[in-house]
Amino acid sequence: MAYWETIFYLVAMVIYAFAGCGYIYSFVFKNPRVVSKITLLVGCGFLAQTIAIVARFNATGHLPWSGHYEYALMGGWFIIAGTIFVGWQNKQLQGLAAGTVPLVLVMLGYGYMQNPALTPMAASLKTVWLYIHVYFAWISFGAYSLAMAAGVIFLLKQKSEAQVVPNPAYDRFPSLGRLDELIFRYVVFGFITDTIMISAGAIWAKDLWGSYWAWDPVETWSLISWLIYGITIHLRVTFGWREKKLAWLAIAALSSVIICFFGVNLVVNTSLHVFQVR
Amino acid sequence: MIIRLAHPLLNILDCHMLKKLIKYLSSLRFTILLISLLGLIFAIGLWVPQKNLLKTIYIEWQKNSPGLVALLDTLGLTTIYSSPIILTLWLLFFLNLALVLWQRVPLVKSRIAFSDAKITDPITTGGYSFHSSFPLPAGLDEEKIIGALRNRRYTVLGNTAGFYGVKNRLAPIAFMIFHLSFFLVLLGGVVSVYTEFIGFIDLAQGELFQGELYRYNTMPIPKMPAIGSIPKVSFSIQSIEPQVVRNTVTGINVKIADAEGKIHEVGINTPYDSDHSSFVFKHLGVAPLFVLTDSSGKELQGAYFKLDVVKGRQDTFRLGDFIFTADFFSNYEFKDGAHTSKTMEFANPVFVITVEKDGRKFAEAAVPKNGSMEFAGYRLEMRDMPFWVRFYVVRQRGLSILYAGFLIATIGVIWRLLFYRREILGAVRDENGQRCLIVAGRSEYYKSLAEDEFVALFEGITGTSDKK
Repeated sequence: MAYWETIFYLVAMVIYAFAGCGYIYSFVFKNPRVVSKITLLVGCGFLAQTIAIVARFNATGHLPWSGHYEYALMGGWFIIAGTIFVGWQNKQLQGLAAGTVPLVLVMLGYGYMQNPALTPMAASLKTVWLYIHVYFAWISFGAYSLAMAAGVIFLLKQKSEAQVVPNPAYDRFPSLGRLDELIFRYVVFGFITDTIMISAGAIWAKDLWGSYWAWDPVETWSLISWLIYGITIHLRVTFGWREKKLAWLAIAALSSVIICFFGVNLVVNTSLHVFQVR
Repeated sequence: MIIRLAHPLLNILDCHMLKKLIKYLSSLRFTILLISLLGLIFAIGLWVPQKNLLKTIYIEWQKNSPGLVALLDTLGLTTIYSSPIILTLWLLFFLNLALVLWQRVPLVKSRIAFSDAKITDPITTGGYSFHSSFPLPAGLDEEKIIGALRNRRYTVLGNTAGFYGVKNRLAPIAFMIFHLSFFLVLLGGVVSVYTEFIGFIDLAQGELFQGELYRYNTMPIPKMPAIGSIPKVSFSIQSIEPQVVRNTVTGINVKIADAEGKIHEVGINTPYDSDHSSFVFKHLGVAPLFVLTDSSGKELQGAYFKLDVVKGRQDTFRLGDFIFTADFFSNYEFKDGAHTSKTMEFANPVFVITVEKDGRKFAEAAVPKNGSMEFAGYRLEMRDMPFWVRFYVVRQRGLSILYAGFLIATIGVIWRLLFYRREILGAVRDENGQRCLIVAGRSEYYKSLAEDEFVALFEGITGTSDKK
C-alpha cells in the first residue's frame, strides 16, 4: 500500500466505524436528529476513501481493479457513493447508510487483511471490457446493497410502527409504501447492471480464456445471483410479493452477491477469475 | 360396448389432464420452480468437483473416496452441467418460456392497443390508483395541457374535455423481446457446442503450423466437432516477447505471420482469429537450444526443447544417454546457498541443470544463456533461448447469434424495467366555480413513487403547487 493510501484507508474505516455507532445510537436512543450529522460524517469517510484510491492510482498508474483488497476499496466506494447520491436526491433516504456503512466497513476490514500490495496492471485486465464488466459489477453490487439497506429499514420501521409508541428515529425515513417500492427500484437497477455485467463478461471471457462460458465458479455464482434477483422481480411483479416478504428477499439475496465477490474463492480455489489475476 | 363407452370418458379425462398439465407447464409458478432448481444444481456443481472442469482434483478425489465418487458419477453429479437432469430442466425451462410467451401475446397486444375507448372519466374509472385535481390558472390555454404532456413523452388521445395519455406505450413488447432473446442465446449455444473444435497446441518461435491435427497436444485430447471441420489455418510464429514487471505479467506479444505474410499481434485478451477459430494465448514456456559436445568440441547431439519451466515448474529432456532435469530462474541469483529468482522478470534467465544417467547424478550447474556446463567428459551448451507458447484453439460457429442474444437481452431488460408504462386520464372541468384539471394516473411497478411523479408532472404543467 502507498503511504497516503494506508493513512486515508484507515481514516475512512475509523470514520465509518463512528458513523455505524452513530446510527446504532440514533435507533437505540430514539434520537433522529443526529442522522444528518452522521451523514456528514459518512461524507468525510467517503472523501478519505476517495483520497486512498487516488493515492493508490498515483502509485500504480491504474485504478484498483483486482484482488479482494482492491475490490473492497473500489466496490465499497461505489456503495457509499450510491448511498450518498440517493441521500442527496432525497433527504429521507439518508438513513439508508445505516445498512450500507456497516457492510462497507466489514468489506474494508476484510480487504485490509487480504492482498493490498501495489502491483502493476496485469495483462489480463488490459481490455476495454474490464471497464464495462467491472464497473457494472460494482454498480449492481451498490444497487443491491441499497435494496438490502432499504429492506432492513423497512423491517425496523414496520416493527416500530406496530408498537404503541413508535420510535421517532424512523420518522425521517420514507413511508413503508415508498420504502417497499424503493427496494424494488434498487433491485431492478441492480438487475439491469448485473445483466450488462454478465453479458460483457461473457464476451471478454471469449477473448481471454477462449470460451464465453466455462462454468468457472465466479461465473456460475454470478449466474445464480442473477437468477435469484430475476426470481425476486418475478415474485414481486407477478405474485405480488411486497413489503415484508420483499424486504427479506432483498436482504437474503445480497448474500449471493457477497459470496460471488468475496466468498467463492474461499470455498473453491479453482476460479480463473480476475479476483486472482491469473 | 364397454370399450365404446370408456373411450369418450377417457378422452374427456385425458383432455382434462392434458389441459391441466399444459396449464401447469405454462405457469409462472413452474418457471420459478425451474429457475430455483437450476440455481440449486449450479450451486451443487461448485462443491462437487466436475470431471471435465477440474480433472486433477477429480482424479485425486476419486482415489481418496472411490465409493462416493462412483455414486455421484452414477447420479451424473460430477458432470452436472451436461447431466440428463440439467438438460431436462433446460428443456422444460424453454418449453415453459415458449408457452408463457405464447399465452402473453394477446395480453401484450391488448395492452399496447390505443383507442378512444381508453378515454374514460378520471373520477369514476376504476384501476387508477392516483386521483387528484389541479386548479388551472387564468389564461392557461387548455390545448397547452395536451401539448405539455406530449412534450413529456406522453402519447395523448382526446382533448381537454377528456383525454387519455400513455408514456412508454410499447413497454410490454420489451417483455417479449427480453424473453425471446433467451432463445437466441440457446440457439447460439447449441450451434457453438455442436460445431466446436477444441485443442491445445505448443508452438515455439520460428515454428510453422498448417492446421495439422496430429500437431495438437494429445493431452487433453482434442475435441472434434460434431458438425464442421477443424481449423484450416497456416501461420508461423515470428517472435514471442513476454513483459513482466516484478512479479506481474503485464503483457505478452506474439507476432504471427499468416500464409499471405501479414503480421498479426497476439497477446492476452487479443487472440489470433481466423476461419471462425481463435488461437488464445494460454501459457508461456522456454525453448532453449541445448547442444551436447564431447571433450574435443565435436557436436554429438542438439535440439530445441520446449520446456515447461516458468513459474517454478521442473521439466526434463534427454540428450545422448543422459537425462537432464531443468529448473528455470528468470531473474537468477544465488542467495543463502540456494538458487532463486529475484523477480519473475526475464532479466537474468538461468537454467539450473541436473545431469543423471542410470539413476546416478553426475553434475549440477547453473547455465545462463550462451553458457555451458561440463560433466563426465561432456559439455552441455545453451546456444539460444527463445520462448514457446501454448494456444487454446477453439473453432465454433453461432457466436454472432449468441452475442445478438446478449445484446437483445440487455436492450430488453433496460427497456422493460426502466421505461415502464404510465397512464393518465384527464379532463378540464369546473369545480366549485374554479376551472380544474381532474386527473387519474397509474404506473406499472410503482404506486407511491408514481404518485410523486404525477403530482410533479401536473404541478409543472398547471404551474401551481397548490394541489387540492
